[in-house]
Amino acid sequence: MVEAMVETILQAVILPVVALAIGLFFLGLYRVLMARIHWRYGPPLTQPLIDIIRLLYQRGNSHGVLFDLGLVLSLAGAVAIVLFLPFAKWCPVSDSGGLLVILYLLLFMPLGIALSGGEGANPNTSIGISRKLILALGYEVPLLLALIAIMTHYRTISLVEIVRMQRESWWALFSWPLALSGIAYLLILPAILGVRPFDIASAPQEICSGPMVEYGGKYLALAHIQHALSLFTGTSLFVNLFLGGADNAVVFFLKMLVVFIGGVSVNAVFPRFRIEQAVRYLWKWPTVLAFAGLLVVTLVK
Amino acid sequence: MDRNQLGKWLKQPAKMANKYSLNAVYFCTGCGIIEIPPVITARWDAERFGVIPVATPRQGNLFMITGYVSLKTLRAIIRTYEQMPDPKYTVGFGSCPINGGMYWDSYNTIKHLDKYIPVDGWIAGCMPRPEAVFIAVTHLWTLIDKDMANGYVRYREQYAQYRKNQETLFGKLDWPPLYATGGKAQKGQQ
Repeated sequence: MVEAMVETILQAVILPVVALAIGLFFLGLYRVLMARIHWRYGPPLTQPLIDIIRLLYQRGNSHGVLFDLGLVLSLAGAVAIVLFLPFAKWCPVSDSGGLLVILYLLLFMPLGIALSGGEGANPNTSIGISRKLILALGYEVPLLLALIAIMTHYRTISLVEIVRMQRESWWALFSWPLALSGIAYLLILPAILGVRPFDIASAPQEICSGPMVEYGGKYLALAHIQHALSLFTGTSLFVNLFLGGADNAVVFFLKMLVVFIGGVSVNAVFPRFRIEQAVRYLWKWPTVLAFAGLLVVTLVK
Repeated sequence: MDRNQLGKWLKQPAKMANKYSLNAVYFCTGCGIIEIPPVITARWDAERFGVIPVATPRQGNLFMITGYVSLKTLRAIIRTYEQMPDPKYTVGFGSCPINGGMYWDSYNTIKHLDKYIPVDGWIAGCMPRPEAVFIAVTHLWTLIDKDMANGYVRYREQYAQYRKNQETLFGKLDWPPLYATGGKAQKGQQ
């Protein structure tokens, strides 16, 4: 009993660190891959880590109490989601919440950034936040439909159960009734990760990196860490829901890598959508597919 | 490149990270900015040096003054420079910020940029080639290593003089002083 508890606590401490390491690796890989696709040499793989160390030593300036607290709220939300997502066999608190908690916690990251950025009182921040909320409105409809289809099909809200059931049969992405929801999720994955063609919220060339515009020094370092964790969350959720999780960490990591590289390849070759184009896309094909998937799942049952 | 030397990283993490993560502020003052797109894109790829342009002064630590500085631009340059967080480095690009260049007799162009903001290094030429930017970056690394790229320290210590120069040029400035200027101590904007 005591041993199990110690193990859970150890996992809860180690898992965010592992998630941060993987997230930073993804950020570095993202920049190197983008460079190679552009036929450049690109930065070293450790460049995001170097940036974060530099930012931590740089002087940041606050714009008020909410400016600090919102960022902390966002970071706390990111860490909490990491604890609720099973990473291979590690799942310290995932048996106590399931998908519904994750759905709530997913809102924390943009909400915290919105609260914090709003305190900065920069017009670019408000534009960025409103764009981010519009984008979230766009992708949450197909996301919710896909998740409801999954929960209906497996008759559970627990992620651990969903992963176990997929291991007994087929991965959800390749099984008949859930394939439609899986494809819908794949289509909205770039929007969840916030990469091109859906980087309308942080468009640096239009609105000076949007919600990040007033962050400097330590604040930007925290925002980078939160971004790294959100990359981990987005890919890990997909691997758990549709690719059947994994027994050991290495296989799980490889699956995440495949999903992430797919998302980044889309990023490298597409220009940015306009806002109404993005919403029109998100509410057209992914929503239709996810809705059809939900219908099939309910009718088959 | 000593980017991979672990001993130096453990001894002076701040200095090493400042060296290899120079985020340049997008600020186009004059014709010199035409040399920057080839520098940051596929032809010369500044990102392998860790140099990448950022959109806002809050996120940057390298400020390149590319080309001639008119009076109107200088006002924006000072405000941008004061919004950047310490430590920050300024590089004058081209001969115009050094001594006016071909605008040496212009009534509306600044002849000596370093009277108004501290400058850590110059890239001479009209225009400097993109390779000169990389020579400047590697030279800036040496300066940071030897603690000689200390423009932001000079700005803090001699702020009264810089502010006086700025006010001589503009009359009354419509933003509060960044640091205390001796006489009336006001709260800085940073």
